Amino acid sequence: METTTQPEAEHGEHNDDHSHGHAEQSFFTKYIFSTDHKVIGIQYGVGALVFLLMGFILIMGMRWQMAKPDTPVPVLGPILEKVYAHEIALDGQGKTVPIFKDGKITASGYNQFGAMHGTIMVFLAIVPLGFAAFGNYVVPLQIGAPDMCFPRVNMASFWAFFAGCTVMTVSFFIPGGAAQAGWTSYSPLASVIPTDGQTYWLVGMVLLITSSLLGAVNFIATIIQLRAPGMTWFRMPFFVWAQFVTAFLLLLAFPPLEAAGIMQLMDRVCDTSFFLPSGVFASGTEPMNVSGGGSPLLWQHLFWFLGHPEVYVLILPAIGIVTEIISNNTRRPIWGYRLMVGSLLVLGFLSFIVWAHHMYLTGMSSKVATFFQTTTMIISIPSVILLTCLFMSLWRGSIRFNTPSMFALAFLPMFGIGGLTGLPLGFNFTDLHLHDSYYVIAHFHYVVAPGSIFALFAGIYYWFPKMTGRRMSEYWGKVHFWGSLIFMNIIFMPMFIQGFAGMSRRMSDGGATYSMINNPDVTSGALTDQVMSLNSLITMGAFGMGLVQIVFIVNFFWSIRNGEKTNSDNPWKATTLEWQTPTPPPHGNFLEQPKTYHGPYEYSNPDVDNGKGFLAQNDPHKSVSEEQKEAEA
Amino acid sequence: MEIPYYDKERPDTGLYNGKAGIWLFLASEVMLFGALFSAYVLLRVGAEPGTWSMGLMNQWVGAFNTLILIASSATIVMAWVCLKLNDWKGFRKWKWATVIFAFTFLVVKWSYEWPAKFTHYDVTFVTEESASKVYTDVLGPEFSETQSKIWQERFDPLKKDQEKSPLAQVKLKDKPLDGHIVGYIDSDGVEHEVGAAWGIPFWSHAFAWRHDRKNIEKEKDKSIRYGEDGRPVYKEGHFRDTFRDKDIKAIIFVPAHGTWDREEKHAGSGAIKYAEAKHDAGHAHSEGHGHTITIAREDISRLSSYEPAHSTFFATYYTLTGLHALHVLGGILVMLYHLLPVSRRVYEKNPVQFTNRIEITGLFWHFVDLVWIFLFPILYLL
Amino acid sequence: MSDEHSPEYYKKKFIPLIYLVGGILIVGTIITFAADKMGIAERWGFVNAIIFAMSVAVVKASAVIYIFMHLKWDIKLKTISLTLGCTVIFFIGMMWLTVGSEIDSNKPGHSDNTWNHVTEPEPETAPETK
Repeated sequence: METTTQPEAEHGEHNDDHSHGHAEQSFFTKYIFSTDHKVIGIQYGVGALVFLLMGFILIMGMRWQMAKPDTPVPVLGPILEKVYAHEIALDGQGKTVPIFKDGKITASGYNQFGAMHGTIMVFLAIVPLGFAAFGNYVVPLQIGAPDMCFPRVNMASFWAFFAGCTVMTVSFFIPGGAAQAGWTSYSPLASVIPTDGQTYWLVGMVLLITSSLLGAVNFIATIIQLRAPGMTWFRMPFFVWAQFVTAFLLLLAFPPLEAAGIMQLMDRVCDTSFFLPSGVFASGTEPMNVSGGGSPLLWQHLFWFLGHPEVYVLILPAIGIVTEIISNNTRRPIWGYRLMVGSLLVLGFLSFIVWAHHMYLTGMSSKVATFFQTTTMIISIPSVILLTCLFMSLWRGSIRFNTPSMFALAFLPMFGIGGLTGLPLGFNFTDLHLHDSYYVIAHFHYVVAPGSIFALFAGIYYWFPKMTGRRMSEYWGKVHFWGSLIFMNIIFMPMFIQGFAGMSRRMSDGGATYSMINNPDVTSGALTDQVMSLNSLITMGAFGMGLVQIVFIVNFFWSIRNGEKTNSDNPWKATTLEWQTPTPPPHGNFLEQPKTYHGPYEYSNPDVDNGKGFLAQNDPHKSVSEEQKEAEA
Repeated sequence: MEIPYYDKERPDTGLYNGKAGIWLFLASEVMLFGALFSAYVLLRVGAEPGTWSMGLMNQWVGAFNTLILIASSATIVMAWVCLKLNDWKGFRKWKWATVIFAFTFLVVKWSYEWPAKFTHYDVTFVTEESASKVYTDVLGPEFSETQSKIWQERFDPLKKDQEKSPLAQVKLKDKPLDGHIVGYIDSDGVEHEVGAAWGIPFWSHAFAWRHDRKNIEKEKDKSIRYGEDGRPVYKEGHFRDTFRDKDIKAIIFVPAHGTWDREEKHAGSGAIKYAEAKHDAGHAHSEGHGHTITIAREDISRLSSYEPAHSTFFATYYTLTGLHALHVLGGILVMLYHLLPVSRRVYEKNPVQFTNRIEITGLFWHFVDLVWIFLFPILYLL
Repeated sequence: MSDEHSPEYYKKKFIPLIYLVGGILIVGTIITFAADKMGIAERWGFVNAIIFAMSVAVVKASAVIYIFMHLKWDIKLKTISLTLGCTVIFFIGMMWLTVGSEIDSNKPGHSDNTWNHVTEPEPETAPETK
């Protein structure tokens, strides 16, 4: 029984009742200032992908610098120097340092690229893509709603995001360049650094946080209020649950960072001392002329109070996407759906009380450190439960190996590596050695890069047919997959080794200052040649990764027009509601409000005998024989 | 395309969409103000002895504002009740009352409380000698005991363990002299009145100078041009309107504490009486009155009005009350929108929708009131 | 808002309730103000003064939340009280953790003198053995 192929007449009658929605919309209200969640989702998605690329380009520049410290960047170096060289990073009083010099990235430029790489990847790429783009597009469809609860607030949220992105991008081109104090913007450095780029960063963050807060309110209200009849809480696809918890994390965790951002802005603009301790020297021989009495640790607490839930915001939508794709491509229900939902809720709650594990080395007392260590260990349990349930969902599955499912399957071990390598960081005593080393970089990149990003790629390949009616090329998708998988591991696995050897983060010369070659009289602790040589390997991996992404970009754009057309609205033969609509879904999503009869993963149910191998959520009939009985009755 | 449950409540949640949305938004606002409150607590606990001034807030004004806000909270509920009873005129009456109360709150805060602080200065001195020189001028030969007592009232009213207290170790030069600046003397010995910015005779070392950035000369590559003294060079005819860069040799100061008469011995009676000072503020005096003193620039270590940059206490105070005031302003704008003629049409077309809008505004407004309920004791009283 | 309340209910019960809450708020403010003016911090100690002021504030806040914001009728009383209670406990717990991590007494080698504002010299670290 299909609700998707209603005859045109019904469609026409149905719409006469509505006062808005089907009047002719101008180009602007239809594509630019649209309140339709699908358009907004695509806007977020395209924007996020652009920034994903931009963040990647920044890190490629940095990796070049690390592998070949005093070599000009090939081809682009002289060009960038002309474009960028007239912006000079101020360095104290009157001394200036260029960002590009002779085609080489200077240390100041490296810092800027580093700070902005982190900011852009986290706040302008992954969160908008995972939460805002996929969430906006898919969640209303999956719960049977005609749109989000507050469509105009949704649009406002996108344009606030756009404004924040503009401010962040513009900050590169102002005198002094962009922010330099790391994506964490620690005071006192961030409060005293004279470049305006740091202020722009704060303003951009306030705009982005506002956008996320509006979006979070929208998501939660939509999921609570707009579920279609029959769509009970435990019939919702897991992806919707993941977005629900993510929205709560954003709602409750972002405001402290906004407050902290306002305070740091006041430190910079109004000379307050929220985060500046007494007697702080910025440069020169006299202490700064501020009141003092502030606490740099206050910034750290407020930042990481957001920072920890933020990393769950990065991973939960990804886990949601992977769940959908795994269930669909194994043709069996998820193992432990309710257990996974419970774990999700516990994870959400616990994520608020673990933040100081980012601050073990700040001199906190052992009582407090013990508390955070304990909660950090406890929070690993729900994460493991989620991963285990997903692994168990493969058992006895009839696995289809298409591009989305391969990305989703690869997510599992990659996220596993990322999670397991987090354990030494969660313990105070091992973190002593590993804090701020390359081990940390490897750990979080494993979770986010071959973790979240793979899931997001999977989502793009998976939902592309619903958005456009065409498939992306399977062959080139698999090339993209294998290339990304191999190069991701080449890039990040050696970083664990570098971290164990003690190589610190944020060193623009790739650790050369501390290498054995440059410190021949140091007997222990210097970085060995093998460790240093890994830099080149990693950089080559990074460039390889870049090449493979070109494949993806071309595939994406080419398939929009020329991809293989799907002949049905449900090419993956999925059960969830978004596949039971026309392709692409019209304004209002469903021709008539769907009624839900079953759970979200009714694949290969032996009691179901409809010849299809799956039972769509809104399909009132379970079996052919039932239908016959009804026909006779 | 209609969004369901726009006005109707959804049976299982009992909420209509707008109500769900506003409660979620209020949850995030609780976190926002909670973060600021916790910053206050952290900074207060960690403050160095002798840096956290108490008793500088005018509690009577604060209490007045509290009562005003409470009244506005009650009137907005009354407005909503009138709508439920289909009493349009009653609604408008109570809504206007709310707007007027809210507006009064802002007027008291932004045109009395804050400006009063911007015109009041603290001076600390470079050496003990310079401090005692000035204090003798003001307080007479027995100044040190009086000043210490006054200072004790301000920074440690509870006098815990006074003998062991490190407050006793704070030197005279770091105990600030507070009052108003009425003029200054330049290097030629000419006396000037204090400049006013935006009609307010405030002359801060930090606040106003940001606006002079555009008057700084720049090099070709847009970096700041520095003179031989290491300071930025200003364009012809422009000055940094602050103490540090004006040609000042001495300031003419009207101390407040000479007339500072506290009836009670403990913190909290922040009614700083500067009867004579008020009388003098804004006019230059050089002779005769006996209430002004002259302080040489070289004796001054730090000069700051009660602005955000003054101390972390004031920084937090302004941030908290400023953010709160912005929320009050936002609420006023929304309520004014509800009083426009167009609202009558909305009400007539769909009374439930309009009533719901007022209810949502009311919920926001009560949250604003709740923040103030906690702000008032924490900032003004404790 | 569903029709739980009839017009008579509004006139007879709810409006007087509004005045009652207004009265509670005004009285609460006067109590806190008077307590401060009469020297509560000196008589009972600073910490107890905070507890007193915050308790009065919580009473005022509860009146606003339950009556003005209409939660008493909107959600089951148990749910909202539990949520608010948990929020308060959470906040206090967070403050304890963050302030606790900064109090000298909790750091290795120090003794408790935060509230006395006595500056102790930093404890000596073990001498270098080489």
